Amino acid sequence: MAQAPINEAVSLADLARDPYSIYRRMRLETPIVEVPAARRIMLTKAKHTRMVKDNAELYSSDDPVTPMQRAFQAHTLMRKDGPEHRAERMAMQKALSPKVIKSDWAELYRKIASDYLDRLPRGERVDLFTDLCGPVAARILAHILGLDEASDADMMRWSQTLIDGAGNFGFAEDPFAKSDAANAEMNAYFDRIEARHRAEPNNSAFSIMLNAANPLPIGQIHSNIKIAIGGGINEPRDALATILYGLLSNPEQLEEVKRTEAWSDAFEEGVRWVAPIQASSRRVTEAHQIDGIDIPEGVTLMTIQASANHDEDLFENGHLFDVFRKKAPHQAFGSGPHHCSGAQVARKTVGEIMLPMIFERFPNMELVPDEKVIWHGFGFRGPLNLPVTLN
Amino acid sequence: MVEITFVHPDGNRRTVGAAPGTSIMQAARDNGINEIIAECGGAMACATCHCYVDDAWTDRVGRRDDAEDDMLDFAEGEVRDTSRLSCQIALSEALDGVIVHLPDVQG
Repeated sequence: MAQAPINEAVSLADLARDPYSIYRRMRLETPIVEVPAARRIMLTKAKHTRMVKDNAELYSSDDPVTPMQRAFQAHTLMRKDGPEHRAERMAMQKALSPKVIKSDWAELYRKIASDYLDRLPRGERVDLFTDLCGPVAARILAHILGLDEASDADMMRWSQTLIDGAGNFGFAEDPFAKSDAANAEMNAYFDRIEARHRAEPNNSAFSIMLNAANPLPIGQIHSNIKIAIGGGINEPRDALATILYGLLSNPEQLEEVKRTEAWSDAFEEGVRWVAPIQASSRRVTEAHQIDGIDIPEGVTLMTIQASANHDEDLFENGHLFDVFRKKAPHQAFGSGPHHCSGAQVARKTVGEIMLPMIFERFPNMELVPDEKVIWHGFGFRGPLNLPVTLN
Repeated sequence: MVEITFVHPDGNRRTVGAAPGTSIMQAARDNGINEIIAECGGAMACATCHCYVDDAWTDRVGRRDDAEDDMLDFAEGEVRDTSRLSCQIALSEALDGVIVHLPDVQG
């Protein structure tokens, strides 16, 4: 019997600044470790994170004290298990399927991507993070969900407000005041467009859920849409910015990717290298051991996908961006019943549409040499800026 | 042990053994059959363990149910009558010798 070692030294600020060196040391010395700063036992090895995600009975997503419930004004599918979770997830799954993307959306996404690239000024310094990655992710998501009238700015603001509320573990008042205001705006907007989606059924998530044979209650339909808003903008935004940075800072790989059209491989490597969602929490339903370490009932484990994706068991020099590395399964989209619903949409929109189009349009794009790209984030991670010159 | 034969898209075959009670997906993963990705780990939350059951075995393996059929909408490869998610095929002695064909693309 052995309790998990405790790491008192590491802070959330350290993890937000430079998580990968901390996780490397943990994998080597204390792969299962209690981190008081996060109030969680962290799992840093790929075999452990996957095992936890795959077993929803022993490792529940249901967190009775999550700030997410307060932020979303609902108990959402992210924090449910079993048939209830499955029913809510499947209700909008069709809108996210590759077939619907191909049949209904691919042309529109190409046009959106093209229009947003047209707006960028040539021969000048441009921050692709703010001027491209965020807005294009917001626009595409708006169409997937059936929120065509919502502006990019509103989509991004709603998304960030929900995320800030869901991460408000200290239950401070201000983030919830803002998420309450955003919820009111969203609910009013959803009510306004409901009649249109009922009258003209289409393959957007809202319309599919409203017109289903056995529809979810309207409150759950709303919270599903909000989950997609909260979880569907920052991730493709950060994935796109991360992959662009990886390719631009490794020009020989970029040339080879262009030559062999290995855009999908570049996508997978980018999300492996810096996973937009780095960690998840699961509540232990029964006392047991993992690799000889006691895991008591009721504790919260934190699976660190970011660390799993750099695990030496699977990846050589995992800290390096290498599109042509030996293939191994990464966990950037998680695993198990909560495996990212938007994984295929992200692969299509970012990997197959955006990446090749950007480099075709701006073949001589370069990072601005004197400006440092700042990386930040513990739960969610990506660059905060991506200054380039478009030639 | 139950024997499973995987037929790769190029026609090459590989036969592996697995314990009854596990799934064809698990047998593929345990034996490095890379066409079976199984990104969600068998929770029927993705379609990356798509396979085609050999015509001679479809009756014994059984057909997909509605939930599996919905999930197959996510398959990258062509979905046929014989398409199944290999995580949903439980191995038993009755399936000893089963043959499954692997798709040429797996999203």
